[in-house]
Amino acid sequence: MPPAGLDNLKHIVVLMMENRSFDHMLGGLSLVMANGKKQYPKINGLTGSEANPDMNGTMVKVQPNAKFQGQLDHDPDHHFPGVDLQIFGSTDQGPGRMANMQGFIKSYATQDTSIDESHSIMAYFTPDQLPVLTRLATEYATFNGWFSSIPGPTICNRAFAHYGTSFGNVDMNLFYVQDPIVSIYERMIQGGHTAKIYYYDQQSSTMEIVNLLKNQPKIFGSYSQFTADCEGNTLPDYCFIEPCYNDHPGPGGGQILASDQHPDHNVQEGERLIANTYNAIRTNQELWETTAMLIVYDEHGGIYDHVVPPSLDPNFPDAKTAPADKTGTGVAFNFDRLGIRVPAILVSPYIPRGTVVPGTEDPNGLIFEHACIPGTVTNFFLGNYDNRTAREKNSKNFLTPLTDTLRPDDDCWVFDL
Amino acid sequence: MLKREFKLVQKVPRTPKSAYDHGRFISSLIEHQLKHFNELEKSLLKAGEKLTDVSKIKTELQASKYLKRMTALLHPQGGEKPKKTIRRKRIRRVPGGEAKGKTARRRRKS
Repeated sequence: MPPAGLDNLKHIVVLMMENRSFDHMLGGLSLVMANGKKQYPKINGLTGSEANPDMNGTMVKVQPNAKFQGQLDHDPDHHFPGVDLQIFGSTDQGPGRMANMQGFIKSYATQDTSIDESHSIMAYFTPDQLPVLTRLATEYATFNGWFSSIPGPTICNRAFAHYGTSFGNVDMNLFYVQDPIVSIYERMIQGGHTAKIYYYDQQSSTMEIVNLLKNQPKIFGSYSQFTADCEGNTLPDYCFIEPCYNDHPGPGGGQILASDQHPDHNVQEGERLIANTYNAIRTNQELWETTAMLIVYDEHGGIYDHVVPPSLDPNFPDAKTAPADKTGTGVAFNFDRLGIRVPAILVSPYIPRGTVVPGTEDPNGLIFEHACIPGTVTNFFLGNYDNRTAREKNSKNFLTPLTDTLRPDDDCWVFDL
Repeated sequence: MLKREFKLVQKVPRTPKSAYDHGRFISSLIEHQLKHFNELEKSLLKAGEKLTDVSKIKTELQASKYLKRMTALLHPQGGEKPKKTIRRKRIRRVPGGEAKGKTARRRRKS
């Protein structure tokens, strides 16, 4: 018998934010003490001793001095060659190289930063700076082992969330869907279910462009429609929410702030988006008890994390190769290892407070990546479904933290915006 | 007004107005978003229309105007008011249950 949390589940909501690593946003939780002991011992965050060499060879430790804005105004490198340097500590592609997570400052130094500015890639937020993410991470389920799908940038990582693959791409260029793979939205609709991508507004639009917006405009909606659908009990079975990607004037002369948390957009506005999205579900009791919401980041944005990304099981390949002239490193990439760790939190009243899903720090830990999103949603709503990669079919189920026990209403937080 | 009261309420700070800068130069993410839409625009051009030169788009404001125009062509519903009216909800706190900023860590005993 499945647990009640799964049995009662009718909606899955995914909110995918931008470009922040696990340690940068949640790593500080490991340093919070209570009565002489770690308050959150299960979270695989920072010890405070983690360090990277700068361009002078000086070892620079992680620091609790992350700023909401104005610190990473030179956008850190998160393209494939830059992430390769971050993971392996050098650009040397020779055999036997080992991942050591020592190249973050060297990588940031390539972005026109001064020596001091390059150190800011090691900055992390203290939990009190991020009240929304901290509250959700400690109240619901945090994944210690959720990684971006590729050690590369946004577009190809988001493709894994929509298709379970990036069709062999590791860069930001336009790609075309290859038969027989279709997006999770098309699978859901073909299977008699409902699904939508809610982009913030027309001025921000969507990152899922040519393939879906052109051919399937009916699966799109705006963020204001999302909140209306929550209130009106018309939320689709599966929906994916995109934040606002740019600052622009709002209706009636107002201002709409970017809420994606991509550097150098203000991180606090992203907190408000997460809170507002959570509230939209939380304040409708029927929806709250039948919905699981995943908050996840597309990639680490070039920012430090201490966990070496794992390799993938070669028995369940993506069956693609990015040729050497496409990776920027001079070496082909076989989609056999993941990108850097990102924050991932699953929210549901069926999740016990303080749940942590172990990752690579635990021999029995579980590895998650963005192919788990279409993988889990497909398995849950459609059951056996064949036209997808072996990698997606073998991906882990992110709904495992749901239990039999429904937390009482007065045991679950609401945000006051 | 909420139909229900909530016991556990977390305040969320407002983002300072100084965070807004629509003159900010676009990131490489938005650059690529524009290029993707530009490819799409090629297939939507009518006779006599000129393709937008997106290399001239430098700021977030400029990008937002182009994205709005293109998105409205493909998804005009995105510019409409949502079908259901959203009422602004005030969070009502039960006395003694409010989280008072960063130092309050009230936990309910299970």
